[in-house]
Amino acid sequence: MSWRRVILWLVCSLAVPSCSAQESPYFVTYDHHMEEPGNLEVETQSTMGIPRAGQHFYIAPWVEFEYGVTAQWTSELYFDSQATANDGALFTGWRLENRYRPLKREHWINPVLYLEYENLNEADKIQKEIEGGAPDLSLPNSVLRQEQDRELESKLILSSDVHDWNLAGNFIVAKNFSQSEGVEFGYSFGFSRPLATLASGANCRFCRENFSAGLEVYGGLGSTLGFGFHDTAQYAAPVIAWAVSDNATLRFSPGVGLTHQSNPVLFRFGYSYEIRGFGSRVAHLFGSRQ
Amino acid sequence: MRRLILVFAGLLALLPIALGQNMLYWPDPTWRAPESVADKPNPLAQKRWAAAGGKKLFLRNCAECHDKDGNGLVKKHSADLLLPVVQQQSDGVLFWKITNGNTSRSMPSFSKLQELERWQIVLFLRTLKPSEQAPKQ
Repeated sequence: MSWRRVILWLVCSLAVPSCSAQESPYFVTYDHHMEEPGNLEVETQSTMGIPRAGQHFYIAPWVEFEYGVTAQWTSELYFDSQATANDGALFTGWRLENRYRPLKREHWINPVLYLEYENLNEADKIQKEIEGGAPDLSLPNSVLRQEQDRELESKLILSSDVHDWNLAGNFIVAKNFSQSEGVEFGYSFGFSRPLATLASGANCRFCRENFSAGLEVYGGLGSTLGFGFHDTAQYAAPVIAWAVSDNATLRFSPGVGLTHQSNPVLFRFGYSYEIRGFGSRVAHLFGSRQ
Repeated sequence: MRRLILVFAGLLALLPIALGQNMLYWPDPTWRAPESVADKPNPLAQKRWAAAGGKKLFLRNCAECHDKDGNGLVKKHSADLLLPVVQQQSDGVLFWKITNGNTSRSMPSFSKLQELERWQIVLFLRTLKPSEQAPKQ
């Protein structure tokens, strides 16, 4: 794709009338807000790792399809990849995750159950969640891609909306069936807030209501072979989201590594586009009246 | 006389269509807000200008099912927000329903919107004109 086409596409996507930001700014932490039933959100995100000495710069893009099956159940499919400087680029695998919100009403704390199956190789570097020990970032892709990573991961998501703030905590338990790593643990916490709490009547693009910001802290907690922060990757990352249009959101997060096993800096950026009524449109294609 | 009655019945049947109402909407009798929320006042009640923002939020979040006019015609079983059965509910009840949703009828929770934004939507709902037509039971 030429630069002219990229610029044209950006101008077209920004030309849609804007509205207030409602998407969560988090990259790693999940809150209790589910995808609306029948809506499909297509998202592309990237993790960019600034390396330590002896390691290589990498960028790990992924595509995510998030669908609201019901008001309480959201399903997501990911396709991951990565490219490492002076090494190579490769497709690293896929993930299928499901989130289920058991309680129908809003409560002070809202739990969501999360279950994910991953079919990846060890070269995967998107770091959508961090569990267990720190990944080895100095090994070449040719070695890492040989190691399979078939993993079942569960999360307990606890989230609360307190006045204008969202507070969320995720507790991760993961079991890799391909390797004997024991059961791994991880966590993430986040809080965020929109910059304005009242929607203006105008279709403004740079209004404060279109922005939300917050902070995420996430990392591994070791495994059943050795629980704790020792030899784990830990990050603190401010997050910001901008609703560039009625359906589209841009996100950015510059993360800082808190341990020697972390990347010193981890940039994340993403673009999501929501297709409303996707389910009913597809059903209509197959002859459904609704 | 019989002819006159038939014409009158026909006009009566066409009235909901003329008014753009969704007669297939059947209110969920089990979807009740707690009594404690019924008297909750809209903090934006004196700020009628905020309804403009409510309209914008409504078009983005609600019109997919309730139609941009609120009559619920897009998806046949969505609530017709113009009906008295909806409009007669207090601001507090409407706010509670927007906040919590009704998952058994695929109405999602809109707690992702800020509290004041949900009140803005309530404010906008009050600008929709109710009609005298009752829902089909």
